Amino acid sequence: MPPQTTTARTVINSLPRAVSRQSSRLVSTWRVAQPNSRPIAPPPYKSHSQSFQPLVQRRFKFSTVEEAKSRYRSGPFSWKAGLLFVLTGCGLVWYFRSEKERMQRKRIAESAKGVGRPKVGGPFELVDQEGNKVTEQDLKGRYSLVYFGFTHCPDICPEELDKMARMFDLVEEQRPGWLTPVFVTCDPARDPPKVLKEYLAEFHPSFLGLTGTYDQIKAMCKAYRVYFSTPTEVKPGQDYLVDHSIYFYLMDPDGDFVEALGRQHSPDQGAKVILDHMKDWRGQLRTK
Amino acid sequence: MGLFSIFGSTSSNSEETKRASEIRTGAVAPSRAERQRCWAARDAYFACLDKAGIVDALKEDGAAAAAKACGQESAEFDKDCAAQWVTYFKKWRVQDIQKKARLRELEAQGANRMDVQTDFAPRRS
Repeated sequence: MPPQTTTARTVINSLPRAVSRQSSRLVSTWRVAQPNSRPIAPPPYKSHSQSFQPLVQRRFKFSTVEEAKSRYRSGPFSWKAGLLFVLTGCGLVWYFRSEKERMQRKRIAESAKGVGRPKVGGPFELVDQEGNKVTEQDLKGRYSLVYFGFTHCPDICPEELDKMARMFDLVEEQRPGWLTPVFVTCDPARDPPKVLKEYLAEFHPSFLGLTGTYDQIKAMCKAYRVYFSTPTEVKPGQDYLVDHSIYFYLMDPDGDFVEALGRQHSPDQGAKVILDHMKDWRGQLRTK
Repeated sequence: MGLFSIFGSTSSNSEETKRASEIRTGAVAPSRAERQRCWAARDAYFACLDKAGIVDALKEDGAAAAAKACGQESAEFDKDCAAQWVTYFKKWRVQDIQKKARLRELEAQGANRMDVQTDFAPRRS
């Protein structure tokens, strides 16, 4: 049998069936509309058609075809959604960045704490520029910025001490009384308290200058892992220079080493590093 | 030369000359003003050496050329700075010139520059 006749037959056969189905629906809706009629089970296709229509209308409430078309074109994105997306993104980036920085600082600050870690700093006993005894206990309770140098230093120490004075002023502006600037001489033979006093007065009145005997200074430098090359035996009148490490050591109020600041830091950068660490401090403080 | 007549000076500025000679021998540490004076003399001397094309003023041939070309500046430098400082700065100059040349060489090879300052310019930022 040729295929064309088959399709024609199926169309003819289905026709009366479709007509009868439509009429039966008409009848059934009319019956439901009658209040006192016997309840009858609705045909399955009727419930389907009724629940499907309102659902479609609720999801796409468009008054015009143009509106629907534009909604279709832009998809689920609107300027509000975009703004929310950008703001959330910015917020998350900011949060994670600041948190990352905080964690990095914490890691630096805590790398010197705990058991089995190399320790910078420690107990010492020296005299200040007034001749008073100073120990590590006197520095506790506040942050301290420790620098090693000598008064006969040709270029680097004076520059670094000016930088330290600037850094100290910047920190003092924001957190007065939190920081002690400390200068320790590596050349105790030529830097007694009186010389230190005259020398440091030219940099900042708040500087604490520390000196002592050769052995005391040697122990101090060892505790701070500072290299220095002061000759032990010097003939009177012999001039010499001292080679030494040129870092600022930031110590926290517990007397633990926090971070070393070097030549690469400008006064503002150095002050920022110090202030950031101070922001993270949760321990005890003894500000004057 | 008037520059070297410090030992036979009058009593009015004998304090000053005593102090200057103490600084030169390293008996006292220079004050801020004295440091500034020394640095200025150093910069003038180094500028003269630059002009004369002398790198090392400590080696024999360099020292002879420097004495000839920058005698005046050298005398000022010796007068205003401690003898130890003069030697230190002259050595530093050689190293600094070598360091800068090496950095230029590395940069030509495509090395990345790091934030390191080697001159004496004040770092106020």
